[in-house]
Amino acid sequence: MSDEVMIQCRDLTKRFGAFTAVDHVTFSISKGSIFGFLGPNGSGKSTVIRMLCGILEPTSGEAMVAGVNVVTNADQLKGKIGYMSQKFSLYDELNAWENLTFYGRLYGLRGAALRERMEQVIALTHLQPYLQRRAALLSGGWRQRLAMGCSLLHKPVVLFLDEPTAGIDPVARRELWDLLFEFSSLGMTLFITTHYMDEAERCSHVGYIHMSKLVVCGVPDELKHLPVVNPPNTRRLDVTCEHVTVGLQALRRLPGVRTATVFGQSMHLLVDQTLSEQAIRNRLMEVGIHDLDIRPIGPSLEDVFVALTVENRNEIAA
Amino acid sequence: MKLFRGFTAILYKEFIVVLRDPMTLFFMFFPPLIEMIAFGYALDNDVKHMATYVFDEDRTVESRALVNQFVNTQTFRVVGEVQSVEALAEAIRQGKAFVGIQIPPNFTRDLRSGASAQVQVLINGSSSTIASSALNTAISLGLRQSLIALFGETGRRSLPVEIRPQVLYNPDMRSPNFFVPGVIGVVLQIATTFATAMSVVRERERGTLEQLLVSPVSRWGLMLGKIVPYMCIGLVMGCGLFLIMRWLFDVPIAGSIALLSISTVVYVFALLSLGLLLSTRAENQMQALQMSMIFIMPSVFFSGFIFPRETMPWIFYAIGAALPTTYFIELLRGIILRGATLADLWRDLLILTGMGLALFAICAARFRSKIR
Repeated sequence: MSDEVMIQCRDLTKRFGAFTAVDHVTFSISKGSIFGFLGPNGSGKSTVIRMLCGILEPTSGEAMVAGVNVVTNADQLKGKIGYMSQKFSLYDELNAWENLTFYGRLYGLRGAALRERMEQVIALTHLQPYLQRRAALLSGGWRQRLAMGCSLLHKPVVLFLDEPTAGIDPVARRELWDLLFEFSSLGMTLFITTHYMDEAERCSHVGYIHMSKLVVCGVPDELKHLPVVNPPNTRRLDVTCEHVTVGLQALRRLPGVRTATVFGQSMHLLVDQTLSEQAIRNRLMEVGIHDLDIRPIGPSLEDVFVALTVENRNEIAA
Repeated sequence: MKLFRGFTAILYKEFIVVLRDPMTLFFMFFPPLIEMIAFGYALDNDVKHMATYVFDEDRTVESRALVNQFVNTQTFRVVGEVQSVEALAEAIRQGKAFVGIQIPPNFTRDLRSGASAQVQVLINGSSSTIASSALNTAISLGLRQSLIALFGETGRRSLPVEIRPQVLYNPDMRSPNFFVPGVIGVVLQIATTFATAMSVVRERERGTLEQLLVSPVSRWGLMLGKIVPYMCIGLVMGCGLFLIMRWLFDVPIAGSIALLSISTVVYVFALLSLGLLLSTRAENQMQALQMSMIFIMPSVFFSGFIFPRETMPWIFYAIGAALPTTYFIELLRGIILRGATLADLWRDLLILTGMGLALFAICAARFRSKIR
């Protein structure tokens, strides 16, 4: 990762009529980063991507991608970026090889250069056994690989991926991430939207957009230390026990417990510094839970986003 | 070339997509062929052998001879006899007969005595074309019979005034010669306009359009790449339709095949551009379909395909003048029936070419390289 800034936007805003889809979003991403862009459906993630790709005109604000102004120089931008949309934009009637050929030619690759680049991409994505299969008949994971291959042919310096892992199996998902890390190490800048918190944890940088506003942007570890995530005089505890749902109800009514959430076989609590572990044990014993384990934990990215969303909501309400 | 950047890539892709999608091919080829054959046979104004009932009260050699005269015109075909005027009217109302001939009891007597012998002919007027054909035939039959009788009385051998009409270009006045070229125009329009009307909007729906917009493909390259494959299909179809016209409907081509081919190329290009323009405007395939229909209906009614444009109110005449089909039908009838040359038809061809280029330019220039 270098200090060279590859994506930069300032006060990027998009309004559709009275609705503001993206509201004064500002951030910058340096070369080689894997930037995870998170947010609920309809929060404006795809709109930001489309503006950065030069296919949607911002209402105001400006953005530079790979040193090119996306509004005034969209044509120059096209050869430098790759874009993989949510729908894995493939032509179902074409087989994998033909899809690659088509996208290669679209970017001006011809003859030997095209063939050579296709071989590289095929090797990278392991598409070899599926080259003769029509895109319509490929499974989700292979469609995604093919779409990714198509977007890589012209060696983009910035690759935008709009929910690349939606609806694919865990193995394909992990393999995709392996590929993404490889690209990143080669100096490619990746901009990825996702719903998965575990994917966000893998990113070198994350941004979180909520109600059209960028709520936070930064390195995951730094975000976990934000004051809003760690209110003064509180600590986070993990309580592992049986009957977590019963325990949850009991603990939520316990004074000193600020939030309580279930995580599988355990609960994550944000409690006042003054609340003792014994008080928690006593409360759980009242509802018949005797066997339990309490240990301190740090905040997860999810905790970060929850805290920031609540704060953002309160600000809007105020 | 920079203006058409990405053209060959789009062309490559479109050819594969079109040829691999059996439904598109089916819907491009099959309905037009059926429509051609159906329209060609259905649009036949030659009225022949109309079902006729006879109520002969006279029952003489003369009255039977008159009925035979009617049959000999080939316009009428006697399918039954009745014994009352009511039954005759009833047969027509029930649809058993189209025409009723009533010969009164004193027909032969009046004929011989030199009085006016009257024959009543009832015609079902609910279909005006057929009715007027029956009416004309019946009246001219009566005139002829009268003249023969008058000749006998006066001893004249020839008519005082004789008009010798000569129908040019379609001497037998066959309906197919008039209609089938028009059918080709309309049928080609239906197939080609729908094909391209679907093409861009389908990509919009599937999300591939977004991918194309991100790529360096130019608007002109995209549009031309989309038109050329359908152009090939449209021309193959055009050839098929002309072959059907020539060999199935037996309509000879009087003029130059080359001029006919050029006209067809220009026409198909104009229609494909129109379809493409609709496609870039439509939100979804349903809308594209409806928009195409909006253009197809006037082409059937106001292009001169069925109804002569000369007799239309000015508003419909003007609508017709805005439709490519109008000029193509004009060209087809000129070339196929009259053997007209480029010197005669250059205006129609020029207008059609202008329309095609304008439509193509509009759809490329106004195609948003952005999304909404």
